[in-house]
Amino acid sequence: MTIPIAYILASFTTPIQIDTTAASMVWLVPLVASIAIVYKATKVYQIRLVAFLKESAALFASIMVFIIVAAIILYGLEWFVTERLPSLLHTSAF
Amino acid sequence: MIRSLKDNHALFLIVVGSAAWLVPGGGHFALGQQRRAGVIFVTILLTFLLGLYVGSLGVIDPVGAKPWYAAQIMNSPAVLLLGAHVMLVQRQAETGQMDVQEAGTVPYRVYGRPNEIGQIYTSIAGLLNLLCIVNAIYMAHLTAVEETKR
Repeated sequence: MTIPIAYILASFTTPIQIDTTAASMVWLVPLVASIAIVYKATKVYQIRLVAFLKESAALFASIMVFIIVAAIILYGLEWFVTERLPSLLHTSAF
Repeated sequence: MIRSLKDNHALFLIVVGSAAWLVPGGGHFALGQQRRAGVIFVTILLTFLLGLYVGSLGVIDPVGAKPWYAAQIMNSPAVLLLGAHVMLVQRQAETGQMDVQEAGTVPYRVYGRPNEIGQIYTSIAGLLNLLCIVNAIYMAHLTAVEETKR
């Protein structure tokens, strides 16, 4: 009994390995879900399971869409500044 | 007890706010909204624990990351104890009062992406609880005002 508890507690004493890759962006998803659930829990008049889940899912989806659109715009801007602009100016960006 | 607390409006709001800070969802629970309290408690606790799991206890850094620590404290006063524990262990390791597994390593020191993600999770959990504290106090205020109108 004490061994599983000790194992669980020990897992909080060392960080897990997360590489600096695009896949690490997936860590955004649980955080957005948490924000959507807590925000909706403070806003709805009464918590009824189906209605609450629907409202939380709608907020979650809208936050994700906004983040993806913002990421695409920033990626496009970065591509333009580093790839397209130097060729237009005939010089290197760096 | 609750009736006499509601008669003293300011004290009632302080009690509800304190309950909400002591335990996430505690303020709503005190107002009789068990389902809302349960949702808040589970979600904030899971977010905070996930942050600690990703980055270890080292993401609670009262010295090197004060702005993050301020947000983390909003989770619960228990974060103060965790912060004191982390500081104590690190100080003991640095002064040689504690044996460390590898030479030159300090317990609970975390760097890079796990540190970033752990701090973001624990701090966002704290800020979400701040939102819930404010919401619980507002609901308590509305309840007290409605009862005085009757």
